[in-house]
Amino acid sequence: MIPAQFDYIAAKSLDDALSLLAKHKDDAKLLAGGHSLIPAMKLRLMQPGVLIDISKIKDLSYIREEGGHVRIGALTTHYQIESSDLLRRICPLLPETATHLGDVQVRNRGTIGGSLAHADPAADWPAAILALDAELVVAGGKGERVIKAEDFFVELLTTALKPGEILREIRFAVPKGKVGQSYAKFRHPASGFAVVGVAVSLTKDGSGKCQSAGVGVTGVSAKPYKAKGVENALKGSALDGKSLSAAAAHAADGVEANADLFASAEYRKHLAEAYTRRALDAAVSRAGK
Amino acid sequence: MKIEGSHTLQSARDSVFAALTDPNVLQKCIPGCEELEKTGDNQYKARLSAGVGTIKAVFTATVFMEEVRPPSHYKLVVEGKAQPGFVKGTGSLDLEEQDGGTLIKYTGEVNVGGMLASVGQRMLQATASMLAGRFFSALAAETKAKAIG
Repeated sequence: MIPAQFDYIAAKSLDDALSLLAKHKDDAKLLAGGHSLIPAMKLRLMQPGVLIDISKIKDLSYIREEGGHVRIGALTTHYQIESSDLLRRICPLLPETATHLGDVQVRNRGTIGGSLAHADPAADWPAAILALDAELVVAGGKGERVIKAEDFFVELLTTALKPGEILREIRFAVPKGKVGQSYAKFRHPASGFAVVGVAVSLTKDGSGKCQSAGVGVTGVSAKPYKAKGVENALKGSALDGKSLSAAAAHAADGVEANADLFASAEYRKHLAEAYTRRALDAAVSRAGK
Repeated sequence: MKIEGSHTLQSARDSVFAALTDPNVLQKCIPGCEELEKTGDNQYKARLSAGVGTIKAVFTATVFMEEVRPPSHYKLVVEGKAQPGFVKGTGSLDLEEQDGGTLIKYTGEVNVGGMLASVGQRMLQATASMLAGRFFSALAAETKAKAIG
């Protein structure tokens, strides 16, 4: 099918985009990479009257390290993250996560901001930004605000973004010390979406025990979540096989797991534990290298 | 797809049952229900603008109330057609008195067809749970408002 009729406007700047959104309200959708939006429009599951193209706004695409923080512009493509030398050096979780995302075409066009704002329950970025305790900088008509990653995902396909707001940056503290990170994903064989995806970012202290741990899970539930049960079990633990098993057992604590034709809720909960263990094993072996 | 669950409402069973069979209340509780018009005994036609996030479809629907046995049991059947697909949902509701309030137990089935089913299959269960949750939250608000007012 082809999309229903729509008007197209290319925004010249973030402020321009904000006023266009304020003008057209519910009738408008923002176009970034378009790889979630356009397929939905072609199926007519979304029928915006106006597309506001923000993909041409150059200053919303960047990867910087400033004052101990990494700042990534919302329009940075998955490929730019995948190939960033800076991130490979100081936060390899992000380039690693990017390699699992979609396919080459999606990675070349899709943006981290667009993907996060769409909030697919099986998307990859949410797991990573939850593991990193990232903050999302949001621009609105009345100024800016910062939303913590764990407050950003509200329910199925719904974020904390209010009408008229635009996600402009993702930022987080550069992981310090003996850092180990990993993203482990059970890829749906047809769609490539995460049946389950677990991102881990942890640090070891001088004696090899766990100093801090962040674990983000996607694909399991209607919204991605921070696996706090796993994180709490890891803190201060020896990070040996026994403590990793014990921690991974908390992967789906208190969560209502999705069920679909491919995987039952019970199977997803089992996968959550198995993939948490895999991500932990990889992260621990990389920490202190 | 099976759905089941229970909700506890603070209002008395009689008033909850009355609310459930009142089309004005139903219209405020059925998610996205923009119009509900009586077309026969326990039968209504409706326009439902239902969706998740920014994905919405407008359904032309028929709503049937069946097996109406006050104050403890009734069945709601909703059949809707939209451009991307069609939905048929049936829900049996059983009401019990509990601590001055009402416990509603529901079991039902939702069948989805057309493109919504093929493209959206992986999100159907979560969507059905979410919409059922919205129905009961709205019902709780409506029965509470009636009790106070």
